[in-house]
Amino acid sequence: MRRGLDRVFVFLAGACAAAVCALLLGIAGAIVWRGLAVLDWRFVTRLAAGSGGSGGVFYEILGTLILVAAALLVSAPLATGVALTEAVYLDSRPRAGRWLLSALYAANSIPSVLLGIAGLIVFSRWLGWGKSWLAGGILLGLMILPTVSVALIERLRSLPRKYVEAATGLGLSRSQVVRSVLLRQSLSGLVSGLLLGLARAAGETAPILFAAAVFSGAGLPAGIRDSPVVALPYHIFVLAQDSLDPAVQDHLWGAAAVLLGLVFALSLLALPVRLRIHEEAKHA
Amino acid sequence: MRVGGRPLELTRIVSLGFTALAAAAFLGMLALFAAGSAPLWRQPGAAGFFGIRWFFRVHQFGFLPMIYGTLAVSAVALAVAAPLGIGTAFFTAEVLPRRARLAVKAGVELLAGIPSVVYGLLGVLLLRDFVVRLIARWEPLSGDTLLTGGLLLAVMILPTVMTLADDALSGVPAGQRLAARALGLTRAETALRVATRQAFPGLVSAVLLGLGRALGETIAVFLVIGRQDNQWPQRLLAFEPLTTAGQTLTTKLGGSETFISYGDPVHWGALMGLALVLFAVVAAVSLAGARLTTWRGRRA
Repeated sequence: MRRGLDRVFVFLAGACAAAVCALLLGIAGAIVWRGLAVLDWRFVTRLAAGSGGSGGVFYEILGTLILVAAALLVSAPLATGVALTEAVYLDSRPRAGRWLLSALYAANSIPSVLLGIAGLIVFSRWLGWGKSWLAGGILLGLMILPTVSVALIERLRSLPRKYVEAATGLGLSRSQVVRSVLLRQSLSGLVSGLLLGLARAAGETAPILFAAAVFSGAGLPAGIRDSPVVALPYHIFVLAQDSLDPAVQDHLWGAAAVLLGLVFALSLLALPVRLRIHEEAKHA
Repeated sequence: MRVGGRPLELTRIVSLGFTALAAAAFLGMLALFAAGSAPLWRQPGAAGFFGIRWFFRVHQFGFLPMIYGTLAVSAVALAVAAPLGIGTAFFTAEVLPRRARLAVKAGVELLAGIPSVVYGLLGVLLLRDFVVRLIARWEPLSGDTLLTGGLLLAVMILPTVMTLADDALSGVPAGQRLAARALGLTRAETALRVATRQAFPGLVSAVLLGLGRALGETIAVFLVIGRQDNQWPQRLLAFEPLTTAGQTLTTKLGGSETFISYGDPVHWGALMGLALVLFAVVAAVSLAGARLTTWRGRRA
């Protein structure tokens, strides 16, 4: 009886796991299968043509890279500051540190469409930027700020205490300890957090919906004001709303495969470091 | 990591300054929504936002259809993703050896990284037709239904639920498992009686954080849900309304009304009111979820 129940348990849990793995393979397989049929060198080097549903996605890729680069420049310094504040400067005040940490969790949960609307108000209307790549970069940077900060905080907290003791013993000031010991040693946390965050930023549509992206008619931005970009996620988002034409569907699968390739490349780079840090932090 | 030092150092000032800047950005956002929604509350008969009709041309702004839509798709998503995700977590944490467990987790994390617009595309091109066949006997008008949105969300939050549930279960000390097995408990009994009891807050937290993601997801749901206003079901807890199109809080905010409403303070105020509701609900659910594990565990 008990043995039987044990087998039932393992079987049910295994069935769940098998279903999840099948789902993963099915989704990845569908995109790769349908995408590779369309994907070739010309698809990534040519401009979109017709009403957007044919030709290539060159500027869309470029626009996504511009947004990701801007998000990187926004979130890297901010996240470093937040992480140092939480892990170092508020360490003697646990209550304040806990507040900051839960604020980060709350910020991480904010639906990204709300960032898009806030961007519409602040950048498009108040600052009069219309649609601008910089607005998109700032919004995406803010969106991934909690992810990056928490990754760095986890790494900072897992550093051995003796590093600080040794550095202080050598007569380093706190700023020197922070800059040359703590940050240097936890660089892997920052980098993996950034890669992971940027992978998310590359694929997000909602934050750039109102204040940054257009469907067509944008190349390299020349300034800030009224300098929109075209971007892969927005391209897919618009075309998917009117996707009965089989030729457009092929184009969509191709664009999705390119976007997925970009996102997976970023997160696969981060994955080994991330899993290791995560397991270490748990068993520390 | 405590390091002694003077309060006025450049690195410290810059760090605290950046933190203040980030906090100001997020609090400012909240203030924007609150201020923007003021015209709605000040409007005579303001209690109208608690109604079931949203007709912006005649200034009727009932929030309930959108709230119903959000709850409906999230309920479907949880009903599918919670058992599947926790079941998988039992398998990875209790049955699989460590290496295989990490391999499955890596795969699931990749699943989590798929952009929501790609999920939306899969929903439009594949899931929609599947759902039409699935619910054929309710004679749906199209595959653009709340059910489609819910199933799509289930796939999207599955990685969150699974990976957090696995963290919770595999965080139970190995000694407890050994002791339980030594007392003659089977693997299932160890998992369900010992590990589950220890990991219970973590499992609840996994479900709550999954729910938080489901409530706030916009793009994928937008693409498959049909966006029909004033969807207020005759029977609340019935299956039929799931087979029709609807609106959620997020699809309303992500839709065209956000563009066309800017000249009309009350209409804009109503959308900002929706944004506030969404913000409050998602933050509450996610904070409750985070509080169950992080606050207790890491910074006791």
